[in-house]
Amino acid sequence: MSKILVVDDSSTVRDEVAGFLRKNGLDVDTAVDGKDGLTKLKGSPGIKLVISDVNMPNMDGLTMVEKIRGELGNSTVNVIMLTTESSPAMKERGKAAGVKGWIVKPFKGEAVLETFRKLAG
Amino acid sequence: MNENKPVSKVLVLEDCPAHVETIRQFCDENNLIGVKVAKSRLASALRSNFDLGAIFVSGSYGGSSEESAAIARKIHAARPELPIIMRRGTDAGPGDVPAALDAVVCGSYVASDMASLRKLIDEYIFNREYPNALVRGIAELTSAVLANLFSDMDVAVDAPCIVRDRIIFGEVFSLIPLESTWCRGYMMIQAEEEPILDLLNRRETSQGAADFRDLNSLLGELTNLIWGAFKNRYVGDADGLSHSQVQVPLLINHKQKYISFGSESPHLCFTYRLKDEQSGRTVKLHQRFAFSLSWSPEDFQEFEQAAGATIGAGELDLF
Repeated sequence: MSKILVVDDSSTVRDEVAGFLRKNGLDVDTAVDGKDGLTKLKGSPGIKLVISDVNMPNMDGLTMVEKIRGELGNSTVNVIMLTTESSPAMKERGKAAGVKGWIVKPFKGEAVLETFRKLAG
Repeated sequence: MNENKPVSKVLVLEDCPAHVETIRQFCDENNLIGVKVAKSRLASALRSNFDLGAIFVSGSYGGSSEESAAIARKIHAARPELPIIMRRGTDAGPGDVPAALDAVVCGSYVASDMASLRKLIDEYIFNREYPNALVRGIAELTSAVLANLFSDMDVAVDAPCIVRDRIIFGEVFSLIPLESTWCRGYMMIQAEEEPILDLLNRRETSQGAADFRDLNSLLGELTNLIWGAFKNRYVGDADGLSHSQVQVPLLINHKQKYISFGSESPHLCFTYRLKDEQSGRTVKLHQRFAFSLSWSPEDFQEFEQAAGATIGAGELDLF
């Protein structure tokens, strides 16, 4: 069962992040937007860490996180945003929604791998 | 050349050797890149130069005023966005441009009065002030994104260019709105398909040959990264966003490789060249900013990273 869910509308990013994590022995699933992310999370209770973009069609990443905490009632899954956004207001909204951390792209796998392992349990 | 200001490319259709030299000097002094074209190569020059600011044509180009007029009309029919500026003979007055060319030629000058040519290029090409910090910053942030995304390639950027043309470079482009209190418009990234597919295929992947969907995804993410960097640097928080509801249809003609943003304003353009040192192959990307919906450079602002902020791009900021 997947332990990490990577959510990004860009297949380039999904392939890069998921590929790196799988190469380092982690179980990874992917989703193409916030709506797909919610569906995947509902169907996979073993997911411990969500790595998500903010700007996505259909449902953005922060709305997805708010729904994870609200509608799904999941207060335990760790969420890290991986996004081009760096505005303090956006980060505050993330914090309020229960986001655990924030990475402004580009993704540097080696720098975050051990933290991701810990967050994925 | 003033290296702190964008340049613009002009086709120079001039038979008189003395005036060619005058034009060359004028271009050098006025941030223009003159492309001199013989009549026999005009069609090819128009096809291969898609990013022009204007056309300079002499009133006797091709041997006679009738020939020159016919050429001006043909160019105008093919590229109506390009201002055509005609050089009149030394003894000709402003009224001596034939009436038939009134709708084709946007202005004229005589060789003894280059100041009037200067006025024309200010009116038709350099009619927008772009803050130096913006022009420099766009090249920097885009180059940084490219260097990160294509870490195995050398990234070079040409001098920023003011363009009146509406021709699309290559076969694929991305388009993303730009919204702030001081500007509203679009950014485009245009590219040729084959060099990028070739680049993707030269990279080692286990996913087989790259196809146009892979290219789309790469171009999409590149655009997203540039847009994000632009937004962080020049738009800031939600207060920096425009709340205007004004929209204008964009028009794309695939057959003519033409795009209109509904405005005649020139665009600010940058060309980036990614060179693979091993293979020697180059990928060219054309970046175009059309601030077509609103432009208020007096309200331009740049957001610096907050003092004390220590988290850089790619690093995890744990809450």
